[in-house]
Amino acid sequence: MRYRIIHETQYSYSIPVRRCYNLSHMIPRDTPRQSCTQSKIRVDPSPAQVQKHEDYFGNTAYFFAIQKSHDNLCITAENEVEIRRAPALAPSSSCAEVLARLQSSSAAECLLAREFILDSPMIRSFPALRDYAAVSLHPERPFLDAVRDLNERIYRDFTYDPGFTTVATPLQDVLEHKRGVCQDFAHFAIGCLRAAGFPARYVSGYLETLPPPGKEKLIGADATHAWFAVYSPETGWVEFDPTNNKPASEQHIVTAWGRDYSDVTPLRGVIFGGGDKHELRVAVTVQRLD
Amino acid sequence: MNSDVTDRAVQAQSQLGHLVIRDESRTPEGDLREGWRYLLDGLQALGPQGLNERGEKARRLLRDDGATYNVHGTMRPWELDLVPFVVGSEEWGQIESGLLERAELFNQLLRDLYGPRDLVRTGVIPPEAVFAHGGFLRACSGIHLPGDHDLIIHAVDMVRTSDGEWCVFADRSQSPSGAGYALENRTVMSRVLPSLFRDSQVHRLAHFFQRLRVKLAQLAPHVDEPRVVVLTPGALNETYFEHAYLANYLGYPLVQSGDLVVRNGFVWMKSLEGLARVDVILRRVDDWYCDPLELKSDSQLGVPGLLEIARQNRVAIANPLGSGVLENPVLLRYLPQIGKRLLGREPRLKSVATYWCGDRKDLAYVLANQEQLIIKPIFRGQGRSQVVSELSLAERQALLKQVQAQPHLYVAQERLVPSHVPTVVDGTLQPRPAILRGFAAASESSYTVMPGGLTRVGLTAGSPLISNQLGSINKDTWVVASEPERPVESVPLGERRPLLQQKAGLPSRVVENLFWLGRYAERAEASLRMLRTTFAMLNGAEVLPADSRRQLLRALTEVTCTFPGFAGQPELMNAPDKELLSIVVDSNRLGSASSSLRAMLNCAEECKELLSPDILRVFNDIRDALEGLSDAMGTSLAAASEEALDPLVTTLMAFSGLSQESMIRGDGWRFMEVGRRLERGLQIIALIRALLVRDMPETEQATILKAVLKTLEVLMTYRRRYRGRMDIAYGLELTLLDTSNPRSLLYQLEQLQALLADLPDAGPASRELHAEQRALLDAHATLRLSRLVELVAVSEDSDRRDQLDQLLSRLYHLLTTIASDVSDKYFDHQIAPQQLVRAVWEA
Repeated sequence: MRYRIIHETQYSYSIPVRRCYNLSHMIPRDTPRQSCTQSKIRVDPSPAQVQKHEDYFGNTAYFFAIQKSHDNLCITAENEVEIRRAPALAPSSSCAEVLARLQSSSAAECLLAREFILDSPMIRSFPALRDYAAVSLHPERPFLDAVRDLNERIYRDFTYDPGFTTVATPLQDVLEHKRGVCQDFAHFAIGCLRAAGFPARYVSGYLETLPPPGKEKLIGADATHAWFAVYSPETGWVEFDPTNNKPASEQHIVTAWGRDYSDVTPLRGVIFGGGDKHELRVAVTVQRLD
Repeated sequence: MNSDVTDRAVQAQSQLGHLVIRDESRTPEGDLREGWRYLLDGLQALGPQGLNERGEKARRLLRDDGATYNVHGTMRPWELDLVPFVVGSEEWGQIESGLLERAELFNQLLRDLYGPRDLVRTGVIPPEAVFAHGGFLRACSGIHLPGDHDLIIHAVDMVRTSDGEWCVFADRSQSPSGAGYALENRTVMSRVLPSLFRDSQVHRLAHFFQRLRVKLAQLAPHVDEPRVVVLTPGALNETYFEHAYLANYLGYPLVQSGDLVVRNGFVWMKSLEGLARVDVILRRVDDWYCDPLELKSDSQLGVPGLLEIARQNRVAIANPLGSGVLENPVLLRYLPQIGKRLLGREPRLKSVATYWCGDRKDLAYVLANQEQLIIKPIFRGQGRSQVVSELSLAERQALLKQVQAQPHLYVAQERLVPSHVPTVVDGTLQPRPAILRGFAAASESSYTVMPGGLTRVGLTAGSPLISNQLGSINKDTWVVASEPERPVESVPLGERRPLLQQKAGLPSRVVENLFWLGRYAERAEASLRMLRTTFAMLNGAEVLPADSRRQLLRALTEVTCTFPGFAGQPELMNAPDKELLSIVVDSNRLGSASSSLRAMLNCAEECKELLSPDILRVFNDIRDALEGLSDAMGTSLAAASEEALDPLVTTLMAFSGLSQESMIRGDGWRFMEVGRRLERGLQIIALIRALLVRDMPETEQATILKAVLKTLEVLMTYRRRYRGRMDIAYGLELTLLDTSNPRSLLYQLEQLQALLADLPDAGPASRELHAEQRALLDAHATLRLSRLVELVAVSEDSDRRDQLDQLLSRLYHLLTTIASDVSDKYFDHQIAPQQLVRAVWEA
């Protein structure tokens, strides 16, 4: 499957911004099932400096700095990716076996994956996470089946409610009110898995949405999306989408991954000026190319 | 913030009575050891009184140099003991090679952790031990400095244990402090005990700093004359003294984050001449705080974009961002294996036995042997070291609960028993436990070890923890040669770099502080003089008529801007003591003499690297006088009070004289003078306006005029010149228009004209005058064109001299315009940065 993704971010400030420094994660990375075939970023006003680098997690990070005064900032990322179907897995290990192998394996991949069991800036372990996880992650249950069950429970127990949370809402609140958006559900799932001792990471990207039958697809109607991946020594990393109750498919386009949202924020920045009111508009279009 | 002179990790012998403590100066049989005899005999010969005198001298020298260690915002004087820690050069050779090897090892470790991470991949270090450490900054991955070394300065804290072996208990790599203090200790010792020092043939420290300077220059290999700056968090930091001291010693500008800006792909220093490119940063701000874009997002101490510029190798930061990861004590647990992997052998210098609670067997050991252990978090930001046996049962349970909840975040270490070193206590020598911080600096292919270091001793023989925060005494460390030392080899010619910094040496923040230093000094002086006059007249032999008294007190409020005061609360006039006292000593009250003096001292602290030792000494005196001011004033403002203010006025005059006689006429001096002249002008205007605009009956008028003249220090001249006839017109002539009077208003304006013409970038780019020059010309002409007869005229419908009032009001406006024009043009008033997306995930 091939896609073109146009991701437009626009900030309007109440007073001019004199300088700004930004770091964005908007260029899809390569993964075993995905290649980024074309990539273009336009920034308006034009930056004095732009620089791309591969970050700690292997994502493509894009730095830019603007030195002229501006009231609006517009970033348009236009990327094309090719996605292959994930290979079917036939794992057999139980949760207990996976846990044991995670601690005993001396394979580099497994040692490095253990980083993703630890707390991260936005996901800190607390007892309720372990309790929630325990219902799905029985020691003797096949591991991926257990994760699928966890994914499904989150889908059923939680209500998608874009008005409820912000990027800074703590997981405790998300759990208490059982509300949130894709980012919260991904964080929550990751928190559960880590509390149970399994490596889990945050995946940021896009999801192709299909228009209602007979309707034309609207430009800008898509959105950024987030889900999670879990690791076992047997299968490597496997992705699940708790917002939509399914494993990641060919319609899940990966931009970047990290320990949580803070590692892969689509656009972060430090601005000089700008006043205390910013208006943000984000428009995403995911076009299927064939 | 960075407080790495303040490790809490060391423990002296206390209740462990069965252990033998090594005495550095004596053998177990009681004989003096090699190297100590000459020193101790020499000290003994001084006798208790001699020792005290030398101690006093050391304290004075340290105070004059401004050597302090700040704890919670208070400047604590640096305590230096007269007895150095003595190490023979042969023994030092072993320590030196151990430190050298260790620096090399930690350098390779740093390069691996931010590079391939082979040590984790191959299981030499458990992943959690690295990945859970707060100092492991993922954003810094893949950044390396030019040359073989990423770790530029490495410091090691160690003690000598009973078996005579040195044992390391902590590595300092974030931005190690202490090298500058060691240098200051040495400087003071060589002056306090010159002959003992000379005859002991102590290895010199200068070479170490020379090599460091060469290395820093080499970090910008493509630049002919790289600009190196020292980045400090600011004057409130614990080790700020050292930042300023080292910057001065090495000849680099001392900058704060606000002085730096990222533009066009480089880092620049905002100087008066514009932006000056920075090639190398000697960093004394903790890495996590250095860039709010990629690191701590709410940091006020960072430069947005800095990390990206470092990533592109367009600025070199030493130690590099992320180097705090090496302070992780879990690394000590695995150091033998790390050594074998990276060097092919275990490191020679021993480390303290360390147990990582993240390892199941280690944790079991820790729980079983907690009595003998110290438990501490692996990351310094997360708590302090705890000597388990000294905790109460409840404290111990709480600690163990934390450890068991997140075992991988804790280590335990054996308690070390440091050797004792003789230390002067009440005029006699007493044994005190000692720890030594050693330093290694990268040089081309290896490291250079400082021959000596910073020794600290506990306050008591049994001090369980030694830290500068808890209070400790410092010592010089003497590596003594058995034979005369070879002269220090100087840097080979081929690599000699220009030692002089280019122009554009001053960050504009420093210059702004000098400007305000000048202003506050004048403001303080003006209030003190006005207060003195007020006291003298209130307490004078002649009874002050009620109206004059009111006029005077109201004027005091107006001149010092301490409203409402006497102007707003007339009832205070009857019992003015309390209010007067407050205008003198209440430093929380804006406009009080104390508050202006404190503001002045704060400005001085921000630019102290530019002030001469004599000026710093004067400021020390002012600081002391301020401390004692409340007492000196007493509670009743009888006769004593006038005299209490005299010493302050005198020291301010000393500062003013010194700045005329001992400061280079550079931009720094010029801006300080501009501040001074502007403020003095404003103060003259305020005084005359407050006292002479209102018309009064003749005798009372004479009294008030006398007050003005006395405050402006021209009463004697006036009397001589006008034979005692008190006439407002004469008074105004002398205080406003007479340019032979250095305290007249016109004199200030003429001085300002010369100063403004010499400011950088003041030259005629076009023939047009700059805004501040225009305002000054206006003020000058307005004053010159005014006529005394019109100024003294009293309006018919009021009892006021309206023309005088209008003139002064106009001049006041013009002078404040000049002040804000100068400030807008030359000083950087950047708005604080903010995050595009506000989040709170970094608690």
